[in-house]
Amino acid sequence: MNTRVTSEKPRHSWRRLPQGFWWTLPSIVVLIALSIYPMIYSVRLAFGDLGNFTRLISDRTFGIATVQTIVLTAVALAAEFVLGLALALLVDSLSRAKSIFRAGLLVPMLLPPVVAAVAWRLIYNPQFGVLNGTLRQLGVNTSALTWTNGHNSALLSVIVVDIWEWTPFLFLLLSAGLQAIPPDPIEAARIDGAGPWRLFRDVTLPLLKPTILLALLLRAMDLVRIFDQIFILTQGGPGTATETVSLYIYRTAFRFSNFGYAAAMSFVLLAATMLFSRGLMRVMRAR
Amino acid sequence: MKTALRYIAASIALLAALAPVYWLITISLKREVDQFAYPPQWIGFAATLEHYRDAFSNASFGTYFGNSVLLAALSTLAALAAGVPAAYGLSRFEWARSWDLKIGDWILSTRMLPPIVTIVPLFLMLRQAHLLNSLIGLAIVYTGFNLPFVVWMMRGFFDEVPREVEEAAMLDGETRGGALLRIVLPLVKPGLAATAVFCLVVAWNEFLFALILTQTDSAMTLPVGIASRVTQYEIKWGAMSAAGVVAMLPVLVFASAAQKYLVRGLSLGAVKG
Amino acid sequence: MPLELTSITKRFGSREAVSGVSLTAGDGEFIVLLGPSGCGKSTLLRMIAGLEAPDSGSIRLAGRDITQVEARDRDIAMVFQSYALYPHMTIAQNIGYPLRVRKQPAAQIAEEVRKVAARLGLSALLDNRPRQLSGGERQRVALARAIIRRPKAFLMDEPLSNLDARLRVEMRAELKHLQHELRTVTVYVTHDQAEAMTLAHRIAVMRDGKIQQYDTPSCVYHQPANTFVAQFVGSPSMNLVEKSGEILGIRPEDVELSLVDQPGWSPARVYVTEEMGNETIVVLSDGSAQLTARAPAGFRAESDTPVWFRFRPEKLHRFDAASKIRK
Repeated sequence: MNTRVTSEKPRHSWRRLPQGFWWTLPSIVVLIALSIYPMIYSVRLAFGDLGNFTRLISDRTFGIATVQTIVLTAVALAAEFVLGLALALLVDSLSRAKSIFRAGLLVPMLLPPVVAAVAWRLIYNPQFGVLNGTLRQLGVNTSALTWTNGHNSALLSVIVVDIWEWTPFLFLLLSAGLQAIPPDPIEAARIDGAGPWRLFRDVTLPLLKPTILLALLLRAMDLVRIFDQIFILTQGGPGTATETVSLYIYRTAFRFSNFGYAAAMSFVLLAATMLFSRGLMRVMRAR
Repeated sequence: MKTALRYIAASIALLAALAPVYWLITISLKREVDQFAYPPQWIGFAATLEHYRDAFSNASFGTYFGNSVLLAALSTLAALAAGVPAAYGLSRFEWARSWDLKIGDWILSTRMLPPIVTIVPLFLMLRQAHLLNSLIGLAIVYTGFNLPFVVWMMRGFFDEVPREVEEAAMLDGETRGGALLRIVLPLVKPGLAATAVFCLVVAWNEFLFALILTQTDSAMTLPVGIASRVTQYEIKWGAMSAAGVVAMLPVLVFASAAQKYLVRGLSLGAVKG
Repeated sequence: MPLELTSITKRFGSREAVSGVSLTAGDGEFIVLLGPSGCGKSTLLRMIAGLEAPDSGSIRLAGRDITQVEARDRDIAMVFQSYALYPHMTIAQNIGYPLRVRKQPAAQIAEEVRKVAARLGLSALLDNRPRQLSGGERQRVALARAIIRRPKAFLMDEPLSNLDARLRVEMRAELKHLQHELRTVTVYVTHDQAEAMTLAHRIAVMRDGKIQQYDTPSCVYHQPANTFVAQFVGSPSMNLVEKSGEILGIRPEDVELSLVDQPGWSPARVYVTEEMGNETIVVLSDGSAQLTARAPAGFRAESDTPVWFRFRPEKLHRFDAASKIRK
C-alpha cells in the first residue's frame, strides 16, 4: 500500500519504520503515559516495600474481600448467563413486539451505575423501601427482611442488583449471537428429524459457543472489579459483609493513604483480570 | 396457548427491568409526604417538579451537570483525535511481522486493566501535576480510558471499507490524506458517530475515577455529586432522584440513537451484531 | 515506447511474486496479462498503477520514469474487479471525481460527465447511487470514471469477472471497441484465456511471477513457447503426450476421428462425449491415457464405442521433455 517504502536514495533508519506507525504514534504515546507508566509506578509502589505482600497474606479483611469477590462473581455470572440466555431465546421466539421487549430489557444496563444503585436503595430500605412496603401489603411480616442492611442478606442483595443491571448485557450479546446463526444448519437438523431440545443442544448451542465465551469473559472481567454499585448500596458493610477487593483497595488508598499496600493488592486483582483477558483475546482472535 | 405464555414471561421480565427505574422517577415527582407512604403509591400521586427545581437551582447539581457535559465532550473529542488515525494506520498499512496485530492486542489489553489498578498511580501523578480536582485532569484520564475502545471499534469500521475504493481515489488524483478525508471518512460516518456516542456514555457514567480525582464542588461530576448525597447522614431523596433521572436521560437518548451498533460497542467490536 | 517495464521484481516476505519481468507496450496497444491466480499478474498491474512499489526494476510511461512517482501523479486510470465506486456519491459525482480532484471548473466537469455518460449509455442513471445499479451498469460507471480524464494508460484488473456470462461477452466487445477509439495503451489482467484471445493485441502469459510468452494471440495459440502456455491457452486444452524423450502436443481440433479402422490410425474407445450444439467434444481413452478431440456437431457415439484417431502431422507441437520448452 505504501508507494514509497523503497527509494533510490538511502534514508535515515527512522524513515524505514512502517508508514502506519506514524498514524498510531499519538495513541501509543497517550497509552504509555496513561497505562504503562502508571503500571510501572504501581510496581514501584507495591514492591518498594515487600512487607506489603507479607501483610497481604495475614490480612483477614483482604481474605474476606477476596472470597466475597469470587462468590459474587461466580453467582452473578451464572445467574446472568442462565437468565440472559433464557431471555434471548424467549424474545427471539416472539413474533411480534420483539423490538419493544428488546429495547425495554436493555434499560438497566444503560443507566449510570450510580443511578441504578440509588434506585435500589429506594427499593431495599427496610423501613420505607418499596420492596418491604409491597411485601407488607401482601401480608408478609417484613421485620426480619433487612436486605442490604442485614449481615446475612447484604451480599445476596448486592448480587441481585448486579443481576438486574447486567443480565441485559448477556441477553443482548446472546441475542446477537442467535441472530447471526445461519438458518441452514437449523433447517438441515430439522429435516434430519431433530426435536426442539436436540436442535438447541446439537446445533444452536455449539454455534453460539464463541459468543457465549466472549460474553462470559467480558462480564467476568467487569465483575471482579465491581465497585460503583456496592459503594452506593452498602459501602462494603454492614461490617465486612459486602467488602470486595476493589472497595478494600479504595479504602486502603484513599481513606488510610496506604498507597503501597493498595498497589500490592491491586496486583492480585490484575492477575485475575489477566487470566480472563487472555482467554478473551483468544476468543476475539478466533472470530 | 404456548404463545400466550411466552408473552406473559417476556412481559414479566420487562416489568422487572423497568420497575426500579419507574420507581425512581415517581420518587423524583412525589411530594415528600407521598414518597414513602404506605401502601406504596405506584400511580395516581400528586406530581410536583419541586425536587428538580431544588436539585438544579439550590443544590449544586446544575454545576455537576455542566461538568459532566464538558468532560464527556472533551474526552470524547480527544480520544477520537488520537484513536481514529491509529485505527486507520492499523487497518490500512502493511506491517512487517504482523506488528499491527501485536500493537492492536496491546492497545486492547490496556483497556482491560482494572481501573483500580491504575488509579493509585494516576492519583499521585495528577497530584504532582496539580491536576487534581480539575476537569482537565479527569478528561485526560478518560481519554486514555476510551482510546483503546476507539481504536478497536474504528479499526473494524475501516476494515469494512474496501481498499480498492481508496486506491481508486488515489489513482484519481487524491493524496492518502485526501482519500481518507473525502472518501473513507464519509463511508465510516455512522461507525464514527456510534463510537463517539459510546465514548460519551462511558465518560458520562464513569464513577470511580471521578470519585477519587474530583472532590471539590466545582469539579464534581453528576454521578459523584449524586453519590456524595447518598452517603450523607440525612438524604434528600427527592432531589437525588431528580438528579438521577436527569443523569440517565441523555444516556437513554444516545443509546437509542446508536442502537444499531450497541452490540458491537459493548463487545469491543467482537460481535458485529 | 509508451509503456516500458524493465526487470521488475517484487517480494512479499520471502516469496517472489514478480521476478524480473520486462515488457513493453506500443502506442495504443492492448496488452493482456494472462495467468492462473497467484501468478503475479495483479501485483504487476498494481506496480504499474503505483499501488505497490517494486523492489527493483523501473517503469517508464510516455518517456518518463515513474517508478518513484505517487499513484496520483502517474496519470493512469484503473478499473477494479469490484469496480471500487464511491458508494456515497451519485453516479455523476463518481464519474466526475477525477476532474474534481484536479480542480476543474464545475460547469466543465458537468459537461464532460454528460458526454462520457452518453457515450456509455449512462445518461439516465446520473442521479442514482452505485448500490441502485446492476453489475453491468456499475461496470460502465467504472469505465466512464476511467476514460473521463484521458489518462496516459488504462489498467484493468479482471473488470469483467463479476458479470454473468452473456453480459461479459457483450462488454468484451464494447471494451475492445472503446479502446480502439481512444487508442490509449491498456494493460488488462485476466485468468480467462478467451478474454485474452479476443481482446489483446499482445498477450503476456504469466506463471510464478515470470512471463512465459509475450506475443500476439495467434502466435501464443499456434506456437506456444512451452507446455504451460500450450495447455493454458485454448479450450479444451491441448493434449500432451510423452513419447520417446519428447512431449508431443496436439490441439483437440487437430485430432481426427473415425468410426472405422483406417491404415495408420490408432484404436481407442469413447470415454464420454459432450455435445456443445455447434460441435461435439469427444474424450477418448486408450486404456492408459485420455485424449480430447473436437468432432463436428453430427458426431454421435455411445461411451465405450471403439473409434480410431490420428494427429494431423503438420499441426503437431514438439516440446523438450526436461525443460518443457518448444523445440
